[in-house]
Amino acid sequence: MSVLPEDWALPAPTAITEAWFTSRTIAVQTCAECGSRQHPPEELCHRCGAMSFTYPALSPNGTLHSYTVAHYAVNRALAPHVPYAVVLVSLDDAPELRVIGNMPGVPIEDIRIGMPVVAIWEEHHADDASVVHLPQWQPR
Amino acid sequence: MRGAAVVVGVGESTYYKRGGATESEFQLACTAIRRAVADAGLTMADVDGFTSYMDRNEPVRLSAALGVGDLNFTAQTFGGGGNGAAAAVTLADAAISAGYAETIVVFRALAQGQFHRYGQAGRPRRTRGAGAFTAPYGMLSAAQTCAMQTMRYMHEHGVTQDSLAEIVLTCFEHAQRNPRAIRYGTPLTREEYHASRWIAEPFHLYDCCPENDGAAAIVVTTAERARDCAKAPVSIVAGAHGLEHRGGVAAFSYPGFPTAYHRHVGEQLWARAGVGPQDVQVAQFYENFTGPVLMAIAEMGFCEPGELNDFVADGNIRWPNGRLPINTAGGNLGEGYIHGFGNVVEAVRQVRGESTCQVENVELSLSVSGPGYAPGSAVLFGRG
Repeated sequence: MSVLPEDWALPAPTAITEAWFTSRTIAVQTCAECGSRQHPPEELCHRCGAMSFTYPALSPNGTLHSYTVAHYAVNRALAPHVPYAVVLVSLDDAPELRVIGNMPGVPIEDIRIGMPVVAIWEEHHADDASVVHLPQWQPR
Repeated sequence: MRGAAVVVGVGESTYYKRGGATESEFQLACTAIRRAVADAGLTMADVDGFTSYMDRNEPVRLSAALGVGDLNFTAQTFGGGGNGAAAAVTLADAAISAGYAETIVVFRALAQGQFHRYGQAGRPRRTRGAGAFTAPYGMLSAAQTCAMQTMRYMHEHGVTQDSLAEIVLTCFEHAQRNPRAIRYGTPLTREEYHASRWIAEPFHLYDCCPENDGAAAIVVTTAERARDCAKAPVSIVAGAHGLEHRGGVAAFSYPGFPTAYHRHVGEQLWARAGVGPQDVQVAQFYENFTGPVLMAIAEMGFCEPGELNDFVADGNIRWPNGRLPINTAGGNLGEGYIHGFGNVVEAVRQVRGESTCQVENVELSLSVSGPGYAPGSAVLFGRG
């Protein structure tokens, strides 16, 4: 179902990205001191400088903010997979935060700015046997 | 804010299509630098500093190979991409104005035929940092990044595909008058533009800068020293290199998305210069892709985003009759992609009266670097 090769690049989760890539929720980094939210996760809170965080799940609903359709394969391994769409989704619970993804199984011509979308998660098994859950998007 | 520094020389190597250079990238750099110093009427022994951006030809090696005098100052900008082109000029201005050096060569050499091609990407296996949020989805290249910004910008402001085309057609038309231009002798029609293949929607092939081999340089020195030089000096009226609050947030989550990263640069530049966009006779806008050029035109204050279609239509940005001719040597798209430094050289030439699309009575000449990548930069030149 993935729009890219099965063995394409995967994130290597770190302390601040593990929740995002393993929890199967829209786990947005939230400052444990002042409650500020930020995405992508950073090593300290941009507002108060604290370095401890929680990762509460926000709604998986979002709105398609922008997209591009890649026709040129910038790497040889992608050549059998073009054209593919990459979408940018604004989270309904936090519209100022935006998330990149694909829309597996959705025809490219159906993708349009402003469409309501919902997150799904793709399970990927890395070489080191760890499991990564990549958020992707579907129409809702 | 006008500092103490002025531009006294320009030079470039031959510009080649990717892989076409018979010289190494280092030799291209040295050729451009030697020509710029000769154009200034100076000798290599007069040079005591270098500035650049993202360049792998280090001043330690350059100074030895070129036989320059004692070296007093070297610096490169932070931040990726051609957004450092104008900023590298401001580094030289700052260093000379503060007295750290007297004569600095600002240069960029880039032979994509000999090193990494900017239009391609390696195959990441496991990604960390901000790339973990983009690379797994096939979001890997500058074209794709700027396409994501441009698609939203077109949607919000009603910018048309034909306005993207207008940037390309303007550059190609101007290149037909410039014998140094790679596209000299090969014009482009609007039909050919629209018929060209997609790279990353909304960018066709011709919306994207080519991959080229070449080098360009300018010589910056003090106003006092300029009196000994071969040609009239060109003043650095003001420069700006920066980013608005939280503009550096990665992966399209910065508050101002979509932006060319030039809102803050524009505000700073005009405030420092004490003039506004209406006072400029000619401008060079770095074209990585056409969309960010349009965004930068608006963010630098030339018009509102909703006015862009009209601003670029009907020959308004073309030489000789446009109200603001842009990219008068052909720009990155038509003259050659030397990571945007050709746009700095051309801005200086316009003040000197040496352009192949020379605008009349140029008092102020603007060069805007690298839109779509943070931080942006711009530099304003004027009569010495």
